[in-house]
Amino acid sequence: MNSQIKKGILDLCVLALLEKGDSYGYDLAGSLARKVEVADGTVYPILRKLASEGIVSTYLQESQNGPPRKYYHLTDSGRKKLNNEREEWIKFCGEVNEILERETGGKADEQD
Amino acid sequence: MNKTEYLKRLSDELGHMPYGDVKDIIQSIEEHFDEGLSEGRSEDEIAESLGDPKELAAEFKDGAKFNQIMKKRKKMADSFKGPDGRGRIFVIILNAVVGIWAWLILLAAIVAAFMFLAGDLGIAGLLVASLILGKITEFIVPCIFLILTLLCIAVFLIALLILGIKYYGRGLKAYIRWNKHVWNYGLGED
Repeated sequence: MNSQIKKGILDLCVLALLEKGDSYGYDLAGSLARKVEVADGTVYPILRKLASEGIVSTYLQESQNGPPRKYYHLTDSGRKKLNNEREEWIKFCGEVNEILERETGGKADEQD
Repeated sequence: MNKTEYLKRLSDELGHMPYGDVKDIIQSIEEHFDEGLSEGRSEDEIAESLGDPKELAAEFKDGAKFNQIMKKRKKMADSFKGPDGRGRIFVIILNAVVGIWAWLILLAAIVAAFMFLAGDLGIAGLLVASLILGKITEFIVPCIFLILTLLCIAVFLIALLILGIKYYGRGLKAYIRWNKHVWNYGLGED
């Protein structure tokens, strides 16, 4: 998929992952990369940007094995942003799909 | 590529970022390696799945750039939203003391030039009419000279007025736009 299209929406995906609960970098990287075709590293610049905007906050928590992990938490403003943009995205996707499906639908009719 | 190589490449690519930021980024990626290793993955495997360090560095740099722009924009918005609303006070005072009066005086100058032009053409027309109707019998040559002089002045005034009105309009537009900007965003650097 076009990387420019992907880039714009990944922030929202990270927010959606954090909505389910606080998480740490490695876990988020895995969750994202399992669903979307992106490199594991992609999540880190996004988290950094979101943290500096106050959309997520961070804290350290001890892990059972190894050094403490940096956890990310969705702030109130992050939750608001997620809800707004999710709605916008779903609406936009619906509109785009309608256009794309009508196009292919037309072609299918011709073949019939 | 092993962990050390990957981190070295990444920190080289991050280049001109502030030291604290680079340290922070490297630390988070190092943690990623450690998590992966504790799951039994190899360093090569983790490095591979992290993606090209050059691309990753570029994404970090893009993020930093975006942040700078957002900070600047926020600062500009705050400069008028702030408790003192300096931008708005500045616009009000500037216009009350200088702005509106300066533009009114210039407008008055244009109106005066119009009236002068009308008078000038009126006298010239009167003289021409008098000459044609034969009302003037003496000083015919000086009279013609006077008409020519008046016409020259008229041409000069018309040219001046066209330029004046054009630049008055442009200047006023720009001035209003600038006022709006200060009103909305305050006296930012940009």
